[in-house]
Order: sequence, then C-alpha cells, then structure tokens
Amino acid sequence: MAEILAYVYKDGFFHRLHPVTKILFILIVGLMSILSTNLGFLALLVLSILIISCYANLGSEVLHQFRLIVIMSMILIGITIITMPSGEILGYLIPNGFPVIGGSLPVTTGAVEFGLVLTLRFMILICAFQLFVISTQPRDIVHTMERLKIPVDYTLMFLVALRFIPTLQIEGTRIHEAQLARGYNPGTGLIGKLRSVAPVVIPLVSNALSRATVLGLTIDIRGYRTGKRTRLREFIFHARDFCVLLVLATISCTYTFLALEHIL
Amino acid sequence: MIELENVSYTYPHTVQTALHDLSFSLPQGKCILVTGPSGAGKTTLCLAAAGILHHEYGGKKEGTVTVEGKNVASYAGLSDLAQKIGIVFDDPEAQMIFTTVEEEILSALEHRGLEASVIEDRLASIMQVTHLSELRNRSPHKLSGGQKQRVALAATLVLGNDILILDEPTSELDEHATGRIVSILNTLKAQGKTILLIEHKFSHFKEIVDTIVVMENGKIRAAGIPAELLKDERLRKIVIPDFSGIRALKPVYKSSSPAPVIPVDPLISVQDLSYSYGDINAINGLNLAIRPGEFIAIVGENGSGKTTLVKHFNGLLTPTEGNVYIAGKNTRQCTITNLARDVGLVFQNPDHMFFADTVREEVEFGLKNIGIHNGDSVIEKALEEVGLSHTKDLYPRWLSRGERQRLAIACVIAMKPPAIVLDEPTTGLDGNEARLVMEILKTLQQTGHTIILITHNREIAQYCADRVIMMEKGRIISDSARGAC
Repeated sequence: MAEILAYVYKDGFFHRLHPVTKILFILIVGLMSILSTNLGFLALLVLSILIISCYANLGSEVLHQFRLIVIMSMILIGITIITMPSGEILGYLIPNGFPVIGGSLPVTTGAVEFGLVLTLRFMILICAFQLFVISTQPRDIVHTMERLKIPVDYTLMFLVALRFIPTLQIEGTRIHEAQLARGYNPGTGLIGKLRSVAPVVIPLVSNALSRATVLGLTIDIRGYRTGKRTRLREFIFHARDFCVLLVLATISCTYTFLALEHIL
Repeated sequence: MIELENVSYTYPHTVQTALHDLSFSLPQGKCILVTGPSGAGKTTLCLAAAGILHHEYGGKKEGTVTVEGKNVASYAGLSDLAQKIGIVFDDPEAQMIFTTVEEEILSALEHRGLEASVIEDRLASIMQVTHLSELRNRSPHKLSGGQKQRVALAATLVLGNDILILDEPTSELDEHATGRIVSILNTLKAQGKTILLIEHKFSHFKEIVDTIVVMENGKIRAAGIPAELLKDERLRKIVIPDFSGIRALKPVYKSSSPAPVIPVDPLISVQDLSYSYGDINAINGLNLAIRPGEFIAIVGENGSGKTTLVKHFNGLLTPTEGNVYIAGKNTRQCTITNLARDVGLVFQNPDHMFFADTVREEVEFGLKNIGIHNGDSVIEKALEEVGLSHTKDLYPRWLSRGERQRLAIACVIAMKPPAIVLDEPTTGLDGNEARLVMEILKTLQQTGHTIILITHNREIAQYCADRVIMMEKGRIISDSARGAC
C-alpha cells in the first residue's frame, strides 16, 4: 500500500533541489493558480506539474494520488453546478421527462466554468504540495522552516500533521481488517463508507489521541525545542536551483505582464 | 542516580491513585526490573522517574524525585532531563516521527551538540549492533512491530545516556532479537549505565537484573534481589509465567473417547500458498493441514510470515498463488463475513477493534454481524468464560491491557467459530495474566475449538501447544507434535 504524502526514497531532480527552491516553487505556482481564472493557463500548470513529476522520477507517486484528486474534483464540480447556477443553461441534472422534479438543477455555463477553475486550482495546489513533501525528508523541512525563522511551535505542528497522515492511513487499514474479521460487512460504495465510520473512525481517533501524547514527549526528548543542531547535511544552492528560480521568475513576470494586459 | 521518595500521583480528572507512597532508589550501574499486572502503575512509575510527570502532566503529585542528586523540578524541562535519561516508551509506533529509519535515529543525535563525525560513527555503530543496516532507508511505518521496537531502542541507545528507562522494550521481539537486546544492555551495564526496565520476560534478562520490583495497584508489593524474591511462590508466578500442566488438560472430545479419533478432513488446508507484498515474497509455496480440535503454536522470527499466513484463514488476504480451504471451502470464493463464522481472529493489539460504549455492546457487535440479534445469553456466557462478567457495563478502553486482551477473545468466542486464531495474545501481560489467557484457550480447545496461536514465547509453545509449527522466510521449517507434560 502506497503511503499518502510520505517521503519517497529516490534520487531524482526534485530530490536534489534546495528545500527553499521547492518552497518558492509551491508559493509561486500556488499564487498564480489562485490569481488566475484562465482555464487554459490553469490546465497548462497542471500539465507542467505532471511533466515535472515524471522528469523527477515521481510520476507514479503523483499519478497514484491523482485518481483520488479526480474523484474529489468531480464532487467539487457537482457542488458548484448545484449551488452557483449562472449563464446559459446547457441541460439539467434531472432530465425534463422525470415526473414532478424533472427540469430542476440546471447545468449552466457559468457554474461549469467556475467548477473547472476550482478543480484545476485544487489539482495544482495538491500536486505541487505533494511533489514537495514526497521529495523532501521531514527533517530537512523542519530545519528549513527553522532557517526561515518560523516559530518552533508551528514547525512542530506541521511535522506532527505530516507524520500522522501515513500513520492514520496504515492504522485505518488495520482497524478495518479487525472489524472485517468480526464479520462486519459495511457494503461497498458511499453507503458502505458511511456505515463503516463508527467502527473504524472511533478506534482510529482514540488510538491517535493516545499516541499524540507519546509523540509530543518524543519530540521534546529528542531536543527539537532546544534550537541547537549539528548540521550534517548543509544544503547549498546549486546551478540547478538557480535555473529553477530563473524559470520561476520568468514565468511569474510573464504571468504578471499578461495579467496586467488582461490577456490572462 | 534516581531516587523516588514517598511519591504519590493521581492523573487529572481521575480519583484513583496511580502511584501510592512509592519510594525506591536506582543506584548507578545497577539494573532494576519492574514487573506486575497491567494497570499496576509501571508505566506511570517510568514517567515519574524520568521527570515527565513533573514537567508535562497535570494531576495531583506528592513526594520528590531526584535525578543525579538534583530534584527533577530544578531541571529546565524534558530537553534538559533528556541529557541524562534515555527513555523508550511501550508503544514503538508512537515514537516513529520520520520517514526513514536513518532519519529517525539521526533526529535524536543532531540536537546533542556533537561533532558531525561523532554522529556518523555512532549512527554506523548502532545500526550494526541493532541489525538495522538493511532497513536504513525503509519507512518506519511500514516495518513490523518488532522492527519498530528495535528502531525506537536504537534512537534512544545511540544517545549514550547514563540512565536508561525502558518500558517493555522487547514485548514484540522474537527470541533472537530479544537476546541481542539483552546482550546490548549487558554491555551497557558493564560500562556503568543505570537501567530501569519494565519487562515481563525475566528469564531473558536474569543475567543483568540486580533487583526485581513487583508492583500492584500503584504500590510496590515486593522488592529484592531475584534469588530471594523468587522464593515466594506467589511473586514467582507474577515474575515468571508458569504454563506447566496446561497441555496435560485433555480435550473433552478426546477424553470422552477411549481411543482418540483424529478426523481425516482438515478444518484448514493450505495448498502451495504463496503471497507477495509488492516485490517482497512473504509466503513461498507453503502447505499445511490443520485438523479440528488441534492446539497449534506458530513460531518464528519477526517477518517470517506468521501473520501473513493466518490472514489467509479468514480471507483478509487472497493468495498470490495456491489455495486455502476452510472447512472445504476455497477462501477465494468466500466473503470475509462468511469466513468470520468459521475462523475468528484476535489481533495483537486489542485496541484496533474496540469502538462501542460498553463491554457488552462490544461483544454484541460481532453477533449482530453474523445475524444473531438476541444474543444476551451468548454474551453473558462469553464474558463469563473470560472472567469479565463484572465489567459488562464499563467502557472497553477503561479496562487494563490484560482485561482488554480477554475482551478481544470474548468478542470472537461469542461468535462460536470452529477455529480461533490469536496473534501474540500474551504481549504485555504478567505471568498470572498470561497463564489465565492460556487456560481460557485450553478450555476453548476442550469444548471443541481449534486454537492457532502466533507466539514468540517458547514456554507457551513448549507447555501449551499440541503441535508447534516453526516458520522462516515464508516457509515451514519444522512441524512437530508435543507430548503432554
């Protein structure tokens, strides 16, 4: 089972970048995706991230999660269509021929467009963040955040949150297996997922809470609050980092120019 | 090195005292083993001795704890105390923070103000002595329980602290791995390190233990050198599990028949089973037949494929190759729900299954799953069989570890599956509790159940099982019947 948002031990282009370069990559790409409403530009950003993932030898990891992202995107578009109708009507979610409620819930051009914009933004933010997290050891993330003068409490909160993602995923599977072994059959699909909430989520949360105390103690005992550290691996900016930063700077300048000219 | 004087402690929002007027001293270079039933206060004692109760917990505290002659209150905090004391908690999973084994161990070393070359030397050395070199780049979350325990130990031992507090550091380790840890601790003790050890495996540690402390209900029940303390029969049974005579109890179906007849058709039949986790082959062409009414112990080192094998019995895993038949049915053609009627599985950690508000409802959950809705009498009987009738209205997670383990067994036996599989059911239990669990299992065998037990405990295999199957690298390397003791 592939772990969600867990560091992947590989040697690739993205792994070799300075963590600050990767953080700037997320910030610039994220900012452009939030500011832009141009579907073509957003789709280009998604495509670029996928190409970068493949070039960085992380294509399978990003694509593996991409399936889940696509499902969530569909839900997002559905919600937008239902809640934000505007523009021309393309059709109806409930066909006209349906008795009583037929012809309700119109699918409009405005809602579809806005839903797609939200979806693409969502994809860009998730994939860019994933690319950063799976290519950077948590220890390096913590140390980079320390260097950036982010308060230690926020850094440790981020570390704990990252650490709990794979734990909850693995623990959830074990608990699910334990309940299945007791003859539990929640069924498949959405209804099955909803039915399995109590027998899986309650032990999952209870176990996670009991572990959080020991985890917090372990972090303190290992001296993460002391602030002193022997730097075994000093990250330095290489030519590849400057190249990436140059490309990012060019893209952001071009984007700003096109945005000011109302082209994007 | 560590002195506790009249220490009493009550956790926040509780009324029961966890530690009651407790005094003892841990001299330099000595090893004290603390044991006792689950819920006796052993882990709380560890937290008190490490200064964690004082610095991190609320609640009502009395008495004084001193570390190297200095009151723990005068230390700046845990980071300061951690310069003196290394501690390993009883849950290895909770101590895994990072995403590779190497990173996990380095994370502790990097904040010690050591030279980079010293850190690299220590890392290489601890990797070698704890046999973790091969796991260096693996994710700690994907390791087995025993491997995680070795990582947690390595991350503490590598610091070189003068005082070590180890809370059940080998509970999930096999015999060889436990032996290696004992050897490491022996060396550390010879170097003058002071060790406070919570353990239920006295027989493994007897060479290094100077004093045994037996706790009960938050108090020190007895303390003394092993030779003296173990003369008391009652204390001996707490410290050293006594499984003698359990196998001699003959199954009911056998005793009722003058000439025992072993049914020809196996209840469980494994044919050419192979299973792979991605690129890793966990089971390789395994064949096995288990007859009804057998009491089988499956033994083998961590990662030998024991748990993977038994997960095939109730359909949690589907064979990569080969077939598994339960009562003549191929598991490939059965749902897990259907197989749950034939094979009950008790997981190593009982907390993976509890979610109901009361013990009674927890047992009822399994019954409802197989279509039994008026199971009051069945629930009563199951709880009575494991000695938990008095707890039926309590919240399951309030029970002690030993009681939770018995509740997990009750949840399964209420469903009356012909075969019951248990994964390390005596982990974390003292001698009396472990014997009680084994007696319950023997009684179940007497009433016709087939018992399949995964264990690292050689005494259980030796004294309780009728048949011992030894696994190594996904294969059965020996399969032998045992005579009655």
